[in-house]
Amino acid sequence: MKRSLLALAIFAIALGGAAAQGKTVTVLFYSPELTQQYDDMAAEYQKESGNKLDLTVLQADYPTVLRARLNSGDIPDVFMSSAYADNDTYKDYVYDLSNEPFIKDMVPTALTGVTVNGRVIGYPFLVQSHSFIYNKKVFRDAGITKLPTTLKELEAVCVQLQSKGIQPFATGFKEWWVLPQTAWQALAPLPASYKGDYSTFVADLNSGKLKFKNIKEMGQVFDLLDLIKKYGGNKPMESDFNDQCASLATGKVAMIHQGNWAEDTIMKTNPNAEIGYLVGPVGNEAAKSGIMFDSNQTIRVAKDGKNRQAALDWLNWLTTSAYGKAWIPTMIKQMSPIKGAVAPAAQLAKETSAMIAKGVPSYSWYYQRFPSGLEQGLGIVLQGYCAGQTDRARTLDALDQTYAKIAKAAD
Amino acid sequence: MTVLGKRIARGVEFAALTLPAVAAIVVVVMVPFGMSVVNSFMKWNGLDKKPVFIGLANYVELFTDDPNLIAALIFTLFFTVAMVVLTNVIALLLALALNQPLRGRNLLRAAFYVPNIISLIVIGYIWRFIFSKGFDSMYAATGFAPLNLSWLGDPKLAFASTVFVSVWQAVGFYLVIYIAGLQTIPYDIVEAATLDGAGPIRRFFDVTLPLLMPSVTVAVFYSLSNALKTFDVIFSLTYGGPGTATTSIALDIYKTAFSDSRFGYGMAKSVVLFLLILVVGLLQIGFFKKREVES
Repeated sequence: MKRSLLALAIFAIALGGAAAQGKTVTVLFYSPELTQQYDDMAAEYQKESGNKLDLTVLQADYPTVLRARLNSGDIPDVFMSSAYADNDTYKDYVYDLSNEPFIKDMVPTALTGVTVNGRVIGYPFLVQSHSFIYNKKVFRDAGITKLPTTLKELEAVCVQLQSKGIQPFATGFKEWWVLPQTAWQALAPLPASYKGDYSTFVADLNSGKLKFKNIKEMGQVFDLLDLIKKYGGNKPMESDFNDQCASLATGKVAMIHQGNWAEDTIMKTNPNAEIGYLVGPVGNEAAKSGIMFDSNQTIRVAKDGKNRQAALDWLNWLTTSAYGKAWIPTMIKQMSPIKGAVAPAAQLAKETSAMIAKGVPSYSWYYQRFPSGLEQGLGIVLQGYCAGQTDRARTLDALDQTYAKIAKAAD
Repeated sequence: MTVLGKRIARGVEFAALTLPAVAAIVVVVMVPFGMSVVNSFMKWNGLDKKPVFIGLANYVELFTDDPNLIAALIFTLFFTVAMVVLTNVIALLLALALNQPLRGRNLLRAAFYVPNIISLIVIGYIWRFIFSKGFDSMYAATGFAPLNLSWLGDPKLAFASTVFVSVWQAVGFYLVIYIAGLQTIPYDIVEAATLDGAGPIRRFFDVTLPLLMPSVTVAVFYSLSNALKTFDVIFSLTYGGPGTATTSIALDIYKTAFSDSRFGYGMAKSVVLFLLILVVGLLQIGFFKKREVES
């Protein structure tokens, strides 16, 4: 009797203690490579505000789990998604942030991907860039002094590397998502008639007015993929993200197509690696070759989340507090969309800023505007092309077919 | 008690005893299946609050306008034939061998069974590592040419890899079925055949195999329906890649629902898969049952 009373007393004290603490905001994120940084930030926030962040971090299963939770009513207060097309996917679930005080502290260009009809429905999380990453030491040792800007120059560099016994590329072709990010960069300036107007370009693709098989610039995309595969070692279809980062870090290969998010993994493998960006060739037009630069990873606040105000308070803290402003540049070591944020001490971030300052073209991640599901759908078709499953004509037909099906199903 | 009263009492007793199991199956299997069939007539992306009724449009599209599904169907059929034949032949040969009085027989039986206990997803990831990084190191050490081929990257070799890993994992289970079947064959019949002058091959095909047919029926049915539904191995080994070279029907359904966000269409495909397995299974059982022999 005495023992059970004691247990009851302890239980009541614990409950009372818990009730005295602040609210708990449920958070569902991806990018598990940032789990440590997420946890550190949550611990700091709890110290400063008393509110707790209940974090769940996933990767491959993320879209499935998010969908299941949104449907079943177990809505996370805060979740993550891409920008652009995902605005439409989650439109029934996101809260309009246009009138929140912290939105004015975001860099305006970062808000383009999350603004629909003048309403800001997402919070830009990271600003990222991707292009060909090269190992500076490998290039120096191979005697390459001029960085390539066209397909022909890139091929010449590959020949030179191979003559020195170095494998030019780690293709990454085993991951379906490396294909779109590599391929669409070669199409980024768009056919001349569109003058860089991505909205119209995507709208024409959606309506069927424009088809991939009628875009003659797709030839450059295939040429680039052929080149990477030719100089990608003897098992090009088996190279995945880890293989790319490890091989580049150790100097086994000279170039990979990845983004600044890979830098952390590369530096962990080899802290002395010196890496930089090459522009992505657009056929043989040197002036158009550039890097892909945009804010795509987006944080969204659920409209029907139970702790919506607490979630907004957290975002406000993330944008205005000293720790919050420094979190992305110093701890995640990537570029932050907050105005006045310091530049991260990361080689690729520095290189991105330098290239943009020099006037190198920086293209938005326009392929994120394709209807949801197409990134993977088209990526797998391109992967089939690289594996030799389909030739160029059949690949173009498959791209058109996949696009038409998913666009029709999305509206 | 009257005869009718007894009958009713027995019926009630029957119902009461089977009710828990029936309830569980109805709630967990029948109701979701019914919902699947209903949703297969709808268009839903998994997030909209209300699915839209579109009648038979999903089924029409499935049969007339889906090259990915046709490719998945062809792959699944080839994969199933390879899997069923290889698994059963290898399991039967191993069962015959491991039914002999050998030393270390139990150890060998356990060794062949262990892969069956490990989850298919884990096996897929382990073999994925072996086929790529493992083979690279082994080739660097030995120079054995087949190790340098791209077992997961070349579409044709990837097919062989998925069949190999599936068979490797499945054999243990069918080995158990066949050993049990072999042990029900009364030794005197086999002895009689030997005395009549039948050699080992004749003994096997005319005595052992007909008496083993019940086990064969069960094993072939089970391996057939598992092979048609294959998903885990392919998901972790190749994710249907490269491209769509190793995408099975089940993986195609998964991608349709979760990657293309077309849940109604995915459900229509799974209803068709169910009917396919049902028809094939019934045909197969009917065919094999006729060949069973009672000893």
